[in-house]
Amino acid sequence: MADSTNRPARPQRLVGAWWGPAVGLSALGFYASATVPGDAPTREIFFNVPDGAWAVYAFLAALVGLLIFGFVRHASLWSIGQPTPGALKEIPSRLKNTVRLGMAQDKVRRDRYAGIMHWCIFSSIVVLTLVTAQVAIEADFPVSFLHGDYYLFFSFYGDLFGVIGLIGVGMALYRRYFAQMHRIRWDERLEDHLIIVGLGLVLLSGFFVEAARIMVTEMNQHPDWARWSFGGFTVAKGIGVFGFEDHQMLAFHAYSWWFHVAMAFGWLALIVFTRLDHMFFAPINAFLLRTDSPGRLTKIENIEEQEVFGVGFIQDFTWKQLFELDACVRCGRCTEVCPANIAGQPLSPMHLIQDLKAHLADVGPAIAQHRHEFSDPGREVSSVALIGDVIKDETLWACRTCGACVQECPVMIEHVPTIVDMRRYLVMSEARIPATAQAALENLEMRGHPWRGTALERTTWMEGLEEVPMFDGSQEYLYWVGCSGSLVERNLPVTKAVFRLVKESGASFGVLGQEETCNGDPARRLGNEYLYQILAQQLVETFKSKNVQKVITNCPHCFNTFKNEYPQFDGNFEVIHHTEFLAGAMQSGKLTAKHPVAANVTYHDSCYLGRINGVYDAPRQILEMVPGTNLTEMQRNLSKGLCCGAGGGNMWQEEVGERRVNHVRSEEAVRTGADQVISNCPFCIQMFEDGVPAVHPEEEGRMRPFDVAELLEKSVFGETAVAGERSS
Amino acid sequence: MHIVVCAKQIPDPETPPSAFKIDAATNKVIPAAGISPVLSQFDGIAAEAALRLKEAKGGKVTVISLGAESAQAAIKQVLAMGADEGVLLKDAAFDDGDSYTTARTLAEAIKKLGDVDAVFCGRQAADWDMGQVGLLIAEELGWPAAIIAKGVEATDTGLKIQRVLADGFETVEAPLPAVVTVSNEFGEPRYPKLPQIMAAAKKTVTAWGAGDLGLDPGSVGKAGARLQLQKLFIPEKSGRVELIEGDTPQEQASNLIKKLQADKLI
Ligand SMILES: Cc1cc2nc3c(=O)[nH]c(=O)nc-3n(C[C@H](O)[C@H](O)[C@H](O)COP(=O)(O)OP(=O)(O)OC[C@H]3O[C@@H](n4cnc5c(N)ncnc54)[C@H](O)[C@@H]3O)c2cc1C
Ligand code: SF4
Ligand code: SF4
Repeated sequence: MADSTNRPARPQRLVGAWWGPAVGLSALGFYASATVPGDAPTREIFFNVPDGAWAVYAFLAALVGLLIFGFVRHASLWSIGQPTPGALKEIPSRLKNTVRLGMAQDKVRRDRYAGIMHWCIFSSIVVLTLVTAQVAIEADFPVSFLHGDYYLFFSFYGDLFGVIGLIGVGMALYRRYFAQMHRIRWDERLEDHLIIVGLGLVLLSGFFVEAARIMVTEMNQHPDWARWSFGGFTVAKGIGVFGFEDHQMLAFHAYSWWFHVAMAFGWLALIVFTRLDHMFFAPINAFLLRTDSPGRLTKIENIEEQEVFGVGFIQDFTWKQLFELDACVRCGRCTEVCPANIAGQPLSPMHLIQDLKAHLADVGPAIAQHRHEFSDPGREVSSVALIGDVIKDETLWACRTCGACVQECPVMIEHVPTIVDMRRYLVMSEARIPATAQAALENLEMRGHPWRGTALERTTWMEGLEEVPMFDGSQEYLYWVGCSGSLVERNLPVTKAVFRLVKESGASFGVLGQEETCNGDPARRLGNEYLYQILAQQLVETFKSKNVQKVITNCPHCFNTFKNEYPQFDGNFEVIHHTEFLAGAMQSGKLTAKHPVAANVTYHDSCYLGRINGVYDAPRQILEMVPGTNLTEMQRNLSKGLCCGAGGGNMWQEEVGERRVNHVRSEEAVRTGADQVISNCPFCIQMFEDGVPAVHPEEEGRMRPFDVAELLEKSVFGETAVAGERSS
Repeated sequence: MHIVVCAKQIPDPETPPSAFKIDAATNKVIPAAGISPVLSQFDGIAAEAALRLKEAKGGKVTVISLGAESAQAAIKQVLAMGADEGVLLKDAAFDDGDSYTTARTLAEAIKKLGDVDAVFCGRQAADWDMGQVGLLIAEELGWPAAIIAKGVEATDTGLKIQRVLADGFETVEAPLPAVVTVSNEFGEPRYPKLPQIMAAAKKTVTAWGAGDLGLDPGSVGKAGARLQLQKLFIPEKSGRVELIEGDTPQEQASNLIKKLQADKLI
């Protein structure tokens, strides 16, 4: 029942951007400076390091030079890519993404510990850079504001963010060296140690410099000033115990100053050579992030006139796809949630991105150089094949297009289009496809549905139902049954249930019966864009000729492609998944869940309804409204839900690897102790039908998979009525 | 080497049983609504065999189909796999023939092509399953025939063919020209590459009628057929369940064996 669902909190965005206040503080400081009297607290800039100024500017010049060099080197690699249509359109929403995802780092916080750690380090770097900038302005510009109350305040927050930075570094050190945190070590490199230890040293040495200065200047004259620099002050107190002479402290100050400055610039130079470049690339990639639905794959325009299909060479990617390779920070979040990886199958999205990146670095320079010399833009500069050698065929086939990786990636990399582009090459240019997937594609071509060998017809499900209205353009809704809903035995009861419920709700609707043909989704996800376009165009024509306006779909895959992809073919329809329709009908009182259905259920979010289209609530609302039904969530749920294993055309493939994804997911469902696993997708249900018995061999007490509609049907019509209907 | 592949378009063998209907009056299959005819499975494999030979030895592949206009689709499919030319034998006079008239017509077309070195057929068409046409073409042309092949390779003098037998396989050699019928043991037909699909879509298929082949309309199709269809019907299916008695699984098993022996099934 409603009150007993242990529904987890939604991943919530924390209020506001945390770094905002730091910037605010600085601004306030500038304002305050104007009001401060002349003899107020201050300090001498470049105290005790007379050569400091030129050194800092020399370092700065070198750093800027390096950054430019690094950027140009990267940019020449990105430039071998293809045009990225629309990358500079919809600027407002792109800017919003830059702020929300790039700067406020919404995705980083999906891992709470990492979110705090990263914010500490990030805010510390931002604020300390501002602190340094203020020092530079004070020293070299004809303004003076580092004195008086603001100077004290400045000293305070400088130290505060130094400490915050150290906390972040501490958390990072703990995580890297002491915690059982595997994902960050899947591809650990020397630079990872340099970055974290280096930053720790920069921050620590900063405190030592400050402490030394305080000891020889403020400590005795102005202890009340010194206290504001509480970090340096504390260190100074500590050093004070040893009773060094002033001249010793002066020497120590000079050495530590040079050490600190060299470390700081050295660390900043790491940006050019290490994944620290994500400082810039992550916000830029947030800007470049698609503004349309993640459920939409790119359309190959004028496919009949193309010569290159999909991506078979690194330069066939768009420059945005190449750019994002450089943004990857090897955090492993994508791989950690990847169903294929979880099941021990040969796919790790992180390694895929890193392998592509390494390949780009290998062959990119040659391609960039020879681009202008060959008529065929240096297609084969390397004997290492992108597909087959760098990225294995089975890696590409193992992807479920579930979007979990895209969802988690803190730097907004979009793995799915990249993977599908390579599949396109495999299928359309190379015709290299696993046999069972090939059979599904051939079946789509020959028979207009992917279910090879089905003995059912598109109208079989109608048997035993009185009067199924055919859609003729006069009704409000088209109820789209889909290939699985009509041609796969197990899914027929779901189709019937949806039909009866929609009918009961009093909606005006009809079905297409024999005239349904596959909408092409499996072809598109398997990489046969050409076949997809043929099927999609056909169906858009059918819909238009029948004056279809609103479609209720049975299947989240039909739902997704109608809703997000058919607009690419000028097919704009209002598309509703049956769970949305049914939840709406219940809320407006058109359907009533009268009969109690005593069931302990768990709910599985299909990827294409949940993560990719954000429909999490409707199905849960239905479950809540069914009296007697008690929902227990699985550990992975909502946007973190795990794929059933069937997506991305894997419904029609033999899985390779240690385990099958549906066994893993079935295990998770069984672990809730529920006696039914409820989903909303014909594929998920088939996967559970197969997976549950495998992980729970005894028939007695075995969990059973059902669609939301099947459960609701029992509640609306009564279990016996449904049972009677089935057996008749 | 110039290889001809004979490809037949047949009613979809995967037509759901409920959609498969027969017109008892005319003894004909009623085409199921919304279910398109397909390339006979074995003919796709024959095409694959021919294409592999072409890839190994060079030459060209021509695909011929005898059938209605819709058989264009079957021809295009083989063209997309990599065949070079397509010929459709289409004439009202060809309708309702049998294996003999089909073979005769195909043989005439092969003669008209002239420079053919080998003819590859499927082991049988997946609709009527007669398995006659290949052999009859060989007969008409006076060429050797090797049927039910699971492997074909070119030698200096001709072809080396692995034939599937009930208890293994045998290897035979044939001089060219020759006819080979190819079996499913050969392997799966390739999935066409998109550039080839597009190229195939643009190719024009030659159409020949009885006149083009110099065939008397009275000698082909229904008029020339030697086989008469008496009755076409869907067999009635019935099932009977007998539960084998026995207290233990062992006892049940031995009772089952006794029963099967009594019924002379084992
Ligand atoms: C009882 C009966 C009823 C028939 N009814 C009809 C009918 O209603 N409509 C109709 O059109 N025909 C009808 N036919 C003719 C039938 O289509 C021919 O028999 C057919 O062309 C040969 O098929 P098969 O099964 O004998 O071929 P098989 O001998 O089994 O075929 C072997 C191979 O020969 C080649 N081949 C066979 N046929 C062709 C072809 N047409 N074009 C190219 N290559 C080919 C293929 O490579 C095939 O794999 C009927 C035949 C019979 C025996
Ligand atoms: S889409 Fe899913 S299956 Fe594919 S790589 Fe990403 S997480 Fe793995
Ligand atoms: S692709 Fe994204 S999630 Fe995956 S390792 Fe790289 S940065 Fe992390």
